[in-house]
Amino acid sequence: MKNTLIAFFFLFSIPFFAQEKATFFGGFESNAQWYLNDKDLGVQHPENPFRSNNYLFLNYTYKNWSAGIQGESFQEKALLNFNPGYKETNVGTYFVQFKNKKINLTAGYFYEQFGSGLLLRTWEDRALGINNALRGGRIIFKPTTYLTLKGIYGQQRSGFEVSNGKIYGFDSEVALGQALNLEKSEVTLGLSYVGRDETTAVTNPNFNSLTNAFSGRLNYSYNAFYASTEYNYKSKDAILEVRDQIENNFIKPGSALLINMGYSGKGFGWDGTFRRLENMSFFSERTAKGNSYNDKIMNFVPSLTKQHHYNLANIYTYQAQPNVILSDATLVKAGEIGGQIDFFYNFKKGSKLGGKYGTKVSMNFSNWNALAGSFYISNAKDYKTDFFGFGKKYFSDANIEVSKKWNDKWQSIFSYINQYYNKKLIEETYGLVKINILTAESTYRITPTQSIRMLGEHLWADSDKKNWGSATVEFNLNSKFSVFASDMYNYGNDNPDLRNHYYNMGGSFRKNATRIALNYGRQRGGLICIGGVCRFVPESSGISVSLNTTF
Amino acid sequence: MKNGYLLLLLIGFNLWSQKQLPDLSLSNLEGKQQSLKNDFTEKDKLYVFSFWASWCAPCINELDEMNDLQAEWKKTLNFEIIAVATDDSRTQKRVMPLVKGKEWSYLVLLDTNQDFKRALTIVNIPYTIVVKNQKIVYIQNGYVPGGETELFEKMKTL
Repeated sequence: MKNTLIAFFFLFSIPFFAQEKATFFGGFESNAQWYLNDKDLGVQHPENPFRSNNYLFLNYTYKNWSAGIQGESFQEKALLNFNPGYKETNVGTYFVQFKNKKINLTAGYFYEQFGSGLLLRTWEDRALGINNALRGGRIIFKPTTYLTLKGIYGQQRSGFEVSNGKIYGFDSEVALGQALNLEKSEVTLGLSYVGRDETTAVTNPNFNSLTNAFSGRLNYSYNAFYASTEYNYKSKDAILEVRDQIENNFIKPGSALLINMGYSGKGFGWDGTFRRLENMSFFSERTAKGNSYNDKIMNFVPSLTKQHHYNLANIYTYQAQPNVILSDATLVKAGEIGGQIDFFYNFKKGSKLGGKYGTKVSMNFSNWNALAGSFYISNAKDYKTDFFGFGKKYFSDANIEVSKKWNDKWQSIFSYINQYYNKKLIEETYGLVKINILTAESTYRITPTQSIRMLGEHLWADSDKKNWGSATVEFNLNSKFSVFASDMYNYGNDNPDLRNHYYNMGGSFRKNATRIALNYGRQRGGLICIGGVCRFVPESSGISVSLNTTF
Repeated sequence: MKNGYLLLLLIGFNLWSQKQLPDLSLSNLEGKQQSLKNDFTEKDKLYVFSFWASWCAPCINELDEMNDLQAEWKKTLNFEIIAVATDDSRTQKRVMPLVKGKEWSYLVLLDTNQDFKRALTIVNIPYTIVVKNQKIVYIQNGYVPGGETELFEKMKTL
């Protein structure tokens, strides 16, 4: 590996001497934490209390060629609850690419997505510890402006290795509006295939080593109206209800249907999505299913709910339910069905509700249920779902946010969130929680570049950990320095020993392309969710430093 | 290895030169492809590419502020703001109604596979670059209230 490193750094030193039209971009990110003992919270620091995740990415372009490499270093170990495959210092990804008007060839690691990603998406999310880039080759061919063809082959990154499954893919997309010279409307049509070939250790398997998946999609837009649909089918494969247990006598296909439409005009817009998933988890190794690091995940199955940015609104986060679990009569799942609607509206400046600066309102509603059907949980496990049948409710979230600028100095945002969280079905434990959240925040500008932001939140829950309060104060000394302090307090917990404060304080400095932040405090244990994908983090206490820069 | 990083950082800082925009095409909200290389070429005009996402509160605050101020700024400066949405397929469908609902008058580009973001090695958003004659002449990482004033003051000197 060392030699590869040296070879690449040599490669990257070339442009510094060749003064021709070469472009070089580099980026560095470091997240370090010093874990501390915290008696009140009941946590002890891990064996290596100082841990850090570091990433250096270099990207170099010369004429039609580009190349990149990402070095990663986890010293002494990776931050708590990251994939154990991330250890020490090594090359994470690298690629070489050739590109002209019609052809784009990539060798090495690449990030790709077909359609909405329900069959295939490879991406990087460092905060979640996801990097499932494919290592292999990709060809993108654009014979005309309205036709794109893609072919891929590779193995998926897992830690610093690649997984055993071999992945083949083909995707095509044609823009019919352009092809037919339609003026106001656009129609695009896409077809994809993804194959995963993994030999299994199961003797006499009742399923093929190659799992085939197909997808078709259609997008339509006419002026300000748009609609799209996508259907995915995954061929028969063994079910895993429990980690590492391939059920050789429980073989089922999977499917996903996605329908979206929306309309926007000046000052308003709405968007609605319907999705139905059945047995749709897809990993490059079958036994990876159910791992808590999102390791070897091939497809992107985000929860389609609003991604809240308030502290308390992220305690009960929905996770998409693509899996099959037949555990007992009260806990059966084969997927999910539901949808969400968004609505945005701007009360104009000068109108009654708009005032001098206008008032912006956004509303969102999402509701997700289990699939209805017949479930056979005895010896010969099986199920039969109704296509448009709504089973038990998993989750709903209704929320409204109003953003108002009062004058040159004051600005406020208010929001109300109502959630229903079926903990038993979502997390496969017990409990049902009904939640109401109110938040209010105001920013006051002391000078053009100095401001103070105050945020108060309250959560009412009828069970589980019950009520929470939260407050945040942020002071921006100028456009470079900020400091903040916040606390989340679970004052309503039935168990007095668990009425914890989760306080944090810190500061950040930024200049040009560099940002550095320092933080001291407590991390609430639970799920950290970004983009509808979640990672579990344990409770911890400590000091953290994060730095990112580009050059 | 650590020393290697430091060395590279130093090389990087010293080599901080005016870099060419990457040669990529992104779709706008109407579904038409826009080429970074061929469509933002007016001589001496400043193109401000602001990377955001529909779930990023400070990004939206920044774009809200600039949307209110840009008409005033344009009286003295020739520039255009382009809002680059890095939303993936979970939230990408919310971009259009959000932009229209907020009456933003920006050209919006969809960086759905995050190729543009990755090409510039951007770690976090909000992240804003100012491009003049196809070269990146200024970078602002992050946003706090007032950041837009600082950006405008800087743009006047570019």
